[in-house]
Amino acid sequence: MNAIFVLVALLFLSLLIVGGQQGLKTFFGLMLNFILIFALIVLVNLGFNAYIVTAVIAVMILSVAIYLSAGRGKVLALAWKTSVVVTTIVALLAFLTQYFAQIQGYTLENSDELEGLSLNIGISFSHLVMIVMVISALGAIAEASMAVTSDLFEVIERSPEITKDSLAAHAETIGSQILGTAVNTLFFGMLGANIPLLVWYVRLHYSVAEFVNGKLLVMEVATMLLGMIGILLSIWLSTTMVERTYRKEGRKILDESDL
Amino acid sequence: MKKQVKRLAIIVTVTVVAFLIGRWDSALYPGPVGEITRVHQTQSQDTTDEFNNQDSQITQKLTVKMINRSDHVIHVENDYMNSQAMTTKFKVGDQVLLKKQNGEFQVDTIKRDSTLLALIAFFLASTFVYVRFTKMSFLLLSLVVNAAIFAGAILIDVHSKIMPVFLLFALLAIILAIVSLRLVLGRTKQARITLLSTIIATALAMGIMALVLKMTGSAGVHFETMSFVTQVPTPIFYAQATIGVLGAVMDESADIVAGLFGLHRESPHRPFRDYRDAGLSVGREILGTLTNVLFMIFIAETIPMVVLMLRNGNNWSYITDQVMNLGILQTVVSAIGIVWAVPVTAGITAALLRHRDEEEEARL
Repeated sequence: MNAIFVLVALLFLSLLIVGGQQGLKTFFGLMLNFILIFALIVLVNLGFNAYIVTAVIAVMILSVAIYLSAGRGKVLALAWKTSVVVTTIVALLAFLTQYFAQIQGYTLENSDELEGLSLNIGISFSHLVMIVMVISALGAIAEASMAVTSDLFEVIERSPEITKDSLAAHAETIGSQILGTAVNTLFFGMLGANIPLLVWYVRLHYSVAEFVNGKLLVMEVATMLLGMIGILLSIWLSTTMVERTYRKEGRKILDESDL
Repeated sequence: MKKQVKRLAIIVTVTVVAFLIGRWDSALYPGPVGEITRVHQTQSQDTTDEFNNQDSQITQKLTVKMINRSDHVIHVENDYMNSQAMTTKFKVGDQVLLKKQNGEFQVDTIKRDSTLLALIAFFLASTFVYVRFTKMSFLLLSLVVNAAIFAGAILIDVHSKIMPVFLLFALLAIILAIVSLRLVLGRTKQARITLLSTIIATALAMGIMALVLKMTGSAGVHFETMSFVTQVPTPIFYAQATIGVLGAVMDESADIVAGLFGLHRESPHRPFRDYRDAGLSVGREILGTLTNVLFMIFIAETIPMVVLMLRNGNNWSYITDQVMNLGILQTVVSAIGIVWAVPVTAGITAALLRHRDEEEEARL
C-alpha cells in the first residue's frame, strides 16, 4: 500500500468531516491546482513562451484558490482583482531579482543529483527560476487578500454605523494581525525546507561571503522575501480597494447574496 | 492618492539606497571583488545532446576592474551555455567575486548581496510605511530572534554527536512557536491557548504521518531523493515537516482563537457549543487558502528539476517518484495538520472559555 496514497485518502476524509461541502471544494481545488502546475511544466517543456504561459497559469491558479473558497461574491471578486495586481508586481520584482542576482539553475553542491543528466537542454533556467518565484508567492498572495477582504466585509456588516475613519483603523489592526501570522507561515516553511542546505553550508565551513552570495541560498531567501512582499502588498491593496468601494457604494457594498 | 504616491516614493528610494549600499560594500570582503566593464563574445557553438536538445555554448571575454583590494584591470574568459543550468552569462555592470586558480583570476560567483539587501529593504520599508512602527517591530523582532535560534539549532545539529536530529528540531519547533506567540500576542491567555492548540495539532499530524509510514513500510516514499543530505534523511524530513506544519498551523490557530476571544468579549456567557461552532466556521473559511500556501511553495521548488528530467528522456511516473515525491508528501502532511488544527483549536478554546464561565458562575 502506497503511504502517500493512504495519507491523501486520510486528508480527503478529514476535509470531508471537518469542512463538509467546503472541504470537498478545497480538496478539488488542490487537485485542480496540481493539474495546472503539471500543465505549466508541460507547456514550458514544449517550448512555449515562458512569460505568457506563467501569466495565464498563474491567473488560473489564483482563480481556483480564490473562487473555490468560502465567501460572498463581492469578497471573492475584490480578492481576485487584488491578487492579480499583486502577482504582477511580484513577477516584476522576480524579474529584477533574477536580472541582478542570476539565481537560476544549479551549483556544484547539486552534483550528486545531477549525475548522469545532460544540462544542455535548451530551456532557459533563468525563466524557470522566475516561474518558481512567482508560483511560490501565489498561495500567500491569495490567502492574504482573501483574509483581509473578508474580515473587512465582516466588520462593515457587524457595525452598521461605521465611518470611513473607523473602518481604516479596523483595517490597520486586521492587516497587521494577518501580516504577522502569514509572514510566520512563509518564514517557517522556508526554514524547515532549508535545513539540509544550511547544515551542508555549516558542515563545509562556508564563509560569510559564500553565505550571502551563494546561488542556492540567495534563491531560497529571495523567494521567501518575494512571498512576504506579496503578502504585504495584498493586505495594503485589499484594504485600499475595500475602503474605496465602501466610500463609493456605502452600505450597498453588502447587497449581494452569498455565493 | 497623493499619500499613496508619497509612500511608494519612500519605498523605492529606500530600496535603491539599499541596493547601492550593497554595491559599495566590497571593502568588507576578504577576497578580491571586481566589476565587469566590458563583455566581448568570442565564440558561439551549437550543441546537441543525446536527447536531441538544442543548445549553444558561448565564450565571452570579460574585462574586470578590481574594486576592493587593488584597481588592476584583468581579463577573464567565461564559457556559458545558453540555458545557463550551471553556468552564468555575465553582463556589463555585474559585480563578481574572484578567486585565484593556478595563478590566474577566475570568476567565482556573481555578487548577490546587493539584490538581497534591496529585497529586504523593500519589505521593511513597505511594512513600516503601511503600519505603525511599534506594531511591526515585534513581528520583525520575532523573525530575527527565530532566525537566531534556528541558526543555533543548526550549529548544535552539526557539532553534537549525541543529540538525535528529530528531537532537536521538535524542541526547536516548540521554542520557535513560544517565541513568536509571546512576541506577537504578548503574555496573554490567548497566546497560551494558541500555543497549546498549535503544538497538539502539529504533533497529531506528525504522529499520523509516522503511523502511516510505519504501517505501510514507507512504500512509495523516497527519502533517499532528498537533496544536500549530509546525514540520515528520514529524521531530517520529519524535522522539515514539523517546522513547516507548525508555521501553518500556528497561523490558523491564531486566527481561530482570536475570533473566539472576540466573541467572548462581546458576550462572555455562551455554552461550549457556541464557541465550538464559531471556531469551526472560522477554520473552514481559511483552511482552503492556507493549504494552497504551502502547496505552492513545496511544488514550485521542484519545477526546474522536473523540466530537466523530462528533457533527459525520463517519464512522468519516474519523475513524480524521484523529484516531486517528498514535496507531495510534505504538502499532504501539512494539509492534514491544517485541517485537524480546526477541530483541535475550536475544541480546546471552547472548553477553556466555557470553563472560565462556569468557575465565575460558581463563585457568584
